[in-house]
Amino acid sequence: MLDLTVGEDGTVFLSGRLDASQVPKAKDGLARLDGPSILDFSGLEYISSAGIGVILITYKRLHDAGHPLRLVGMTDRIRNVFQYAGLDRVFTIE
Amino acid sequence: MERSFPRDIGALASIFEFVREVFAAESVDAVNAFEVDLVIEELFTNMVKYSSESSNDIAIRIDRKNDRLIICLTDSDVDPFDPTRAREVDTDRPLRDRKPGGLGIHLVRRMTESFDYEYRDRTSIITLVKKLETEGA
Repeated sequence: MLDLTVGEDGTVFLSGRLDASQVPKAKDGLARLDGPSILDFSGLEYISSAGIGVILITYKRLHDAGHPLRLVGMTDRIRNVFQYAGLDRVFTIE
Repeated sequence: MERSFPRDIGALASIFEFVREVFAAESVDAVNAFEVDLVIEELFTNMVKYSSESSNDIAIRIDRKNDRLIICLTDSDVDPFDPTRAREVDTDRPLRDRKPGGLGIHLVRRMTESFDYEYRDRTSIITLVKKLETEGA
């Protein structure tokens, strides 16, 4: 199961697992972002291509509106997936 | 071990539980769970999306052979759909120039040693070989 919570500074904390069955929940949660945004992955245990797709849609939408999206706190496993996908050069990953 | 799952994205949670059962039974190190879950999810969801003409369950078989897992997904009463022939994703292209789709299969290729497709008697059979890691290796 995926959980999304929003911190006081607007950072969105993702936790649990972002697989294809959790895409609608992730889409709903991230559709609310409408300015410079930070996604904190430190509680996220798993992501598949379906989950990466949601992050990409969010990135493109914000980027087209002139807003940056930062991804922080990735575990090595999740960072590997982004690297395999060539997305470590697209996103700001900290 | 082999088990069949309904042709539904909602079956993923049961599939991941099955993978944990196999890991326990075959003494597979938990560091492998992420990539095994991912390759199975990518191929299972492809079957659900692209072979919707069948209502049969999809069978997943996982066997350990020394330091490798042999993972087999079998989809019966379907038209041929060979994911091993999907075009390569060009991960060097800027995002705006990339075509959608194909990322899941790209990840399967990166995470497995071999990735084969066979079609016979209206049944698609995908076989993956995954080399196992050990903690701290």
